[in-house]
Amino acid sequence: MTPGVQLLAVGAAAPAWRLRAADAAAAWGRKGGKGQSAVCAPDEDVLTLAAEAAGRALAASELQTDIVDGLWWGTSRPPFAEGPSHAVLARAIGLSHRSSGALCSGSPHSGMEALLGAADAIGAGSARVALVVVSDAIVPGLGTPYEARAGAGAAAVVLVSHGGDASIGARVTRTFPFLDRYRGDNEAGTRDLYDARLFREEVFVPTMRELGEQLAALDVRAWSLPDPDGRLGGVVAKQIGAAAPASDAVYTELGDTGAAAAILGGIGALDAAGTVAMVGWGGGRATGLEVNVKSPVRGAATVAHTITAGKPVAYAEVLRARNQLVASGETVQMAVPPESAQFVRGADEMLGLMGARCVDCGTINTPPSIHPHCTSCGSAKFVLTPLARRGRVHTYVVNHTMPAPFVAPLPLAIIDLDDGARVMLQVVGDGSDLEVGSDVELVLRKYAHERGVPVYGYKARRAGSPIEVDGDAEGMG
Amino acid sequence: MAWNRVAVVGAGLIKFGELFEQSYEQMAADAFSAATDNVDLGFEPAQVEAAIVATQRGTLWGQEGIGGNTIPSAIGLSGIPCTRVENACPSGSDAFRIGAMAVASGVHDVVLVIGVEKMRDKSTEEGLLSRAASGHPIFTRGETAPVLFAPFATRHMHDFGTTREMLASVAVKNHHNGALDPYAHFQNEITIEDVINSVPVCHPLHLLDCCPQTDGAAAAILVSAERAEQFTDKPVYVAGFGVATDHPYLHEKTSYNSLKATQMAAERAYEMAGIEPSQVDMAEVHDCFTITEILDIEDLGFVDKGKGGVASLDGETSLTGRIPINTSGGLLAKGHPIGATGVAQLTECWWQLRGEAEARQVEMRNGYALQHNVGGRGSGVSVVNILTNQKP
Repeated sequence: MTPGVQLLAVGAAAPAWRLRAADAAAAWGRKGGKGQSAVCAPDEDVLTLAAEAAGRALAASELQTDIVDGLWWGTSRPPFAEGPSHAVLARAIGLSHRSSGALCSGSPHSGMEALLGAADAIGAGSARVALVVVSDAIVPGLGTPYEARAGAGAAAVVLVSHGGDASIGARVTRTFPFLDRYRGDNEAGTRDLYDARLFREEVFVPTMRELGEQLAALDVRAWSLPDPDGRLGGVVAKQIGAAAPASDAVYTELGDTGAAAAILGGIGALDAAGTVAMVGWGGGRATGLEVNVKSPVRGAATVAHTITAGKPVAYAEVLRARNQLVASGETVQMAVPPESAQFVRGADEMLGLMGARCVDCGTINTPPSIHPHCTSCGSAKFVLTPLARRGRVHTYVVNHTMPAPFVAPLPLAIIDLDDGARVMLQVVGDGSDLEVGSDVELVLRKYAHERGVPVYGYKARRAGSPIEVDGDAEGMG
Repeated sequence: MAWNRVAVVGAGLIKFGELFEQSYEQMAADAFSAATDNVDLGFEPAQVEAAIVATQRGTLWGQEGIGGNTIPSAIGLSGIPCTRVENACPSGSDAFRIGAMAVASGVHDVVLVIGVEKMRDKSTEEGLLSRAASGHPIFTRGETAPVLFAPFATRHMHDFGTTREMLASVAVKNHHNGALDPYAHFQNEITIEDVINSVPVCHPLHLLDCCPQTDGAAAAILVSAERAEQFTDKPVYVAGFGVATDHPYLHEKTSYNSLKATQMAAERAYEMAGIEPSQVDMAEVHDCFTITEILDIEDLGFVDKGKGGVASLDGETSLTGRIPINTSGGLLAKGHPIGATGVAQLTECWWQLRGEAEARQVEMRNGYALQHNVGGRGSGVSVVNILTNQKP
């Protein structure tokens, strides 16, 4: 037992795109292929999914973000192999400059490692409020059966020392130094299993059975179990007497969400009292965790809606988004290199979405670094303020004519935010649903990926679009 | 009372188009010759005391910091003072204004104003469209030239019921005029259906709502008003000018159905010239996109705010209309070699005021012609020049 580690709120996020397994199979001349998986659009990745899930969990918690002591992030694919992944996410979420935490990576098991690390920090008293985010967007090898399963998604959990509706109970970990799915240094895609039957008979089923039997003694109401191939999850569930794992819905809708899978598969079940068991697998390790729910955890009831809103996408689009289908020729480079001074000056205002409110006339100037004087009255006295993240389209365009790497159609909108600030931002989607007066919300997206570096900023998205979920929905908690 | 301290005694341009075979220097030399050839009583190149050159994007032909020395060398006058002006789309018209001030100051008696632009030496993707990746990494990302004006079309349509047909009527009229102008890039008539059915470029603007990418050069010779009659019996005078700026980012505009910079520049120019908009006989205005001309004729005071679309569709701006606009074909048909554009517009005004515009000649009741540009990031720079054939 880890005394005094409680779950205050949860959130989830998933890309809108869904790849049908049959479409991927057909491209390689194979018949069949069941199900679908979630795939990131070109402007989404593990970091934008993490930010969205974290935003929902924090909104559901009703806590101020600056009291969060640390961020524990688990993902098998941090956006920088070496670089400021954790710092960028922390700033985008709005955490304080003093926040601590860790980036756990190296395998899909890293999601469970992030949760345990945060729980231990709470248990040790070094953090009172910890944010756990797990996200993944797996890039499978081209033409492998894994293509039909590799998914994307994110989950976030706010852990506290007291005041939550659920608590973390027993944990059990097993290790087995066996090479299942892996990605070597400098490899783009994750390799599929060497021999599926070898993996099943000698590694996965025995390990899961041992772990599951220990947890099953705890009178588990709902399970989140790993399902590496669309069948093994069912086999294990049957052996440990878990009728229909709660995680099935996530695997069916999103596919294998890697480091996010164990927690994303379990948080939806935190909406009712009882014990929930979450089992994470990967990199030769397995961990099971008991969560005891006293009353519905904030945010849990919206998880199912978040993951079931998707739309089909063509296989070629998926390949382009994953950089597996690349046009020949040069692309136009961003005029401002991501390592340059403008990004140093702009880090807080772009990731934290800050404005400068004029002390004399109240006008909010954006972004602050390029406005030493107010655009309305010329004053030089400002107070930095986070911008509202909802607003209305004042006017817009849809750009159809741009050089690579831009992809048309690209909508751009001038938006009146709820706090009176005005911004011009790109809009998620093809713009066909936009009109003057449309309600929008701002979401973190990847604006560019060049010189090997992802560049993040906010985009507008139609509010009320299918994948939007209100983080603080009424009637919960 | 008009300002009238400076006279235009010669002006000319080269045939606009995709001039792949001509160098920047050759275009400049030919434009200079065209202007001097048009001086009625003869002009020796050596009479030029100083030059102002407008070139907006040297990078479009591989030149980053093109200075003032390229032009004197190209026109055989190496050694004279020469300064390059870059002020976005109004670069040419601002060079003209600065040239006029140089003459009016008494420092120089004869000043050459020349605008030269190579737009097509780079591919479209690597050329003008590459600005999609320039500027602020987030707030301007994807902002090609049409993005600077299309938001105004969306909002003008929303606020005033302006239709795509009204927008299209601007392109139809300017192509008609361009077909009468031997210097125009495009010399073909088009229909409203052609415009509406052309491919979308930046919603709600389609291909024929947009000006082309054009190479070109134009020149004008400015002298002090006292010396004008040494060069011509039909001098044209600078009656007034105005320049104004607005904030450089699109999200900083106070209105999306008008261009504040144009309104302010026009107000200053009218005051300097001592005239009202109703006294202007014809105008060459900035029609980089069809919506721009509709905004212009409202913001310059030729029609009421919101009525620009209807006025265009009703023919009020045609060669025989109440206020003929862009008799040369405008940027839409004549082309928009940025640095040259303003000087070429002024050349058309010069011809109209002298009664030399041939098939495009309009009735000059009051003897005033207006030239206008607007552009730059956030469409935040505008220049208006007013010329007159009325002697001081």
